[in-house]
Amino acid sequence: MSILSVNHLLGIKYLKPSDIDLIFKTADNFKKILNQPIKKVPSLRDISIANLFFEDSTRTKLSFELAEKRLSAEIINLSSTSSSVKKGETLLDTVNNILAMKVDIIVLRHPNPGASVFLSRNVDAKIVNAGDGTHEHPTQALLDAYSIREKFGNVNGRKVVIIGDILHSRVALSNIYCLQKLGAEVRVCGPSSLMPKHLNSLNVEHFSNLDEALEWCDIANILRIQLERQNLNYFPSLREYSMRYGINKKILDKLTNDIVIMHPGPINRGVELSSDVADSKHSIILNQVENGVAIRMAVLYLLALKKSN
Amino acid sequence: MNILLKSAKIIDPNSKFNNEIMDVYIKDGKIDQIAKSINYKEKSDTKNSDIEFTYENLHISPGWFDLHANFGEPGFEHNETLDTGCNAAVKGGFTGVMLMPNNIPSIDNRSMIDAILNKTSNLVVDVLPAGNITQNSIGDSIVEMHDMAEGGCKAFTDDKNSLMRNDVMKVAMLYSIDCNALIMNYPNDVSLSKNGVMHEGKTSTRLGLVGIPYMAEAMMVDRDINLLEYANSRLHLSYISTKDSVNKIKIAKRKGLTITADVALHNLFLTENDINNFDTRYKVLPPLRENEDINVLIKALKDNTIDVISSDHTPISDEHKKVEFDNALNGIIGLESAFGLLCKYIVPKIGLSLLIEKISINPRKVLQLPQISINIGNTANITLFDPEKEWEFTADDIKSKSLNTPFIGTKMRGKALGIINKGIFKVN
Repeated sequence: MSILSVNHLLGIKYLKPSDIDLIFKTADNFKKILNQPIKKVPSLRDISIANLFFEDSTRTKLSFELAEKRLSAEIINLSSTSSSVKKGETLLDTVNNILAMKVDIIVLRHPNPGASVFLSRNVDAKIVNAGDGTHEHPTQALLDAYSIREKFGNVNGRKVVIIGDILHSRVALSNIYCLQKLGAEVRVCGPSSLMPKHLNSLNVEHFSNLDEALEWCDIANILRIQLERQNLNYFPSLREYSMRYGINKKILDKLTNDIVIMHPGPINRGVELSSDVADSKHSIILNQVENGVAIRMAVLYLLALKKSN
Repeated sequence: MNILLKSAKIIDPNSKFNNEIMDVYIKDGKIDQIAKSINYKEKSDTKNSDIEFTYENLHISPGWFDLHANFGEPGFEHNETLDTGCNAAVKGGFTGVMLMPNNIPSIDNRSMIDAILNKTSNLVVDVLPAGNITQNSIGDSIVEMHDMAEGGCKAFTDDKNSLMRNDVMKVAMLYSIDCNALIMNYPNDVSLSKNGVMHEGKTSTRLGLVGIPYMAEAMMVDRDINLLEYANSRLHLSYISTKDSVNKIKIAKRKGLTITADVALHNLFLTENDINNFDTRYKVLPPLRENEDINVLIKALKDNTIDVISSDHTPISDEHKKVEFDNALNGIIGLESAFGLLCKYIVPKIGLSLLIEKISINPRKVLQLPQISINIGNTANITLFDPEKEWEFTADDIKSKSLNTPFIGTKMRGKALGIINKGIFKVN
């Protein structure tokens, strides 16, 4: 059986296309299981996993927990609000204390970019990055690409536009890497003030006009928008954002092609996405959530497999 | 109304008839004919409404446009209203003005742009409101530029409330790219100039007044140019007053950055010495500088480092000028006296043709407005003037609601005779 080329899942940029293929094929099997009456398998019965969430999360945390439980892993949870980090303990000390209790895999959500890379270099456990600041959110990108593959049969050659705050988005960065590795063409759309200065170093073009972007793409992946970041507004108001970049049914009806709408959640209904689109046939948002569990099962399973080798 | 202008010398680099003395016939607001001699009786089809205008030494140019005027309304109607401001513009020969957003409430949303455009649409002067860059003009959060631009706002500035926060200016520049809006800023680092009331130099030392140092302007020019280089948007620097700024802008232009600049007309011939003995009529921002600055500013007009001369028309009521120097507000009314002063002090140095570029052609270029040359078939947007007329500026010449000018009693050279715009002919 094939194995991953990496020992941790720190970011999509560290994966080979063959790794992504392997994760998808493994997820296919788990997805079948998830649709059976008995959804649980004993694959990770001897594995202990710690979910360390130093930043708020709802769906990612639940999705990982469910994936772990369905693989029969032992799990422990820690969130920043109840942790010793509040008492001044360093990340490394916290994690080493947990590892002393014989934990095999750490799932880490952290506000600082590179936190999971740092951990992987300094502790003896498999690390799964569940989002590190504005760096990467690899499982989100995998489940997004997996959902595109499911909808279209493959990702290769698809045109995907990511809309919103690209500057601060780990989802955008991981998606760009993942989709490009799989042969898709990726562009971004949003106000120039929310674009990285050196966007072209990622081989990504920028649309400032939403209509042009939607006319170009097969798939629009829409990001949650947030007005203020570190005491600075990068655009004037949610109202103007919505007027310029909000997607509603009227806009989609004008397009010459049918496009697929994705969103990593949680949605600001009426801001970046209107309800008549979020709940329409265009939307595969809930498929994304469903696929998230299968993808995370695949990732954890493949990393655990690697350990036992 | 049809108008025949007899023997008018056309000053317009974009006209086929530049520098020629021609008759110009205007029919239904359009330039119908330009010829050596037009017989008005032959042309006329509705004799009653026809006007033949004859004046010795008549000159005409594309209508003048003032890039920086304050009309007070809304918020400061005791100083000026849209109506009185437009009357002042007509008197000064201006067919268009851009209003600076120093108002209460701030010009920080679409409805304020709509309101000003609605209220001025019937006036003979084209009134373009600039929007604030930031909400409430307090420098923290940018305005809805797209919405305002769609409403007709061509430029964004917090005017004399120079935008201090670097991060906000960066966002403003980046955001402006998508709607091709022009960002304007008066470069003045308030942390260095905040208590200053005049130029920091020998006069401020003699009078014991707190000075505004050169570097307050220089540092923000540097900042703005750095940000412009990063954002690659469009920037206009307003009211340049120092030789250092000129040099920095010259280098930025050479680098190919999309940057333009203007100078307020009084900064071209008045100096710190004019403040003499605490004369608040000369209290302006940027402050009156030194002779050396004037020389460099004039050179900058010639080599096009500075694109535009603005009036910086700032009406202020007596109770804010007839006070101690520290407490007086900054500003001079400028529209009515602009041409008489410019012809007297500036034309001998740069020539009439270049002056017309600085007060008519270039302001529209900076704002990317359609050019309005004097050619057959074009809409008639014209200023009539006599560049040699000698006269004395009196209070009767002031149409503005405020009288804050040091020029009453000054002998002027050159006078605006009238304007033609929107099919209307206003003779002074």
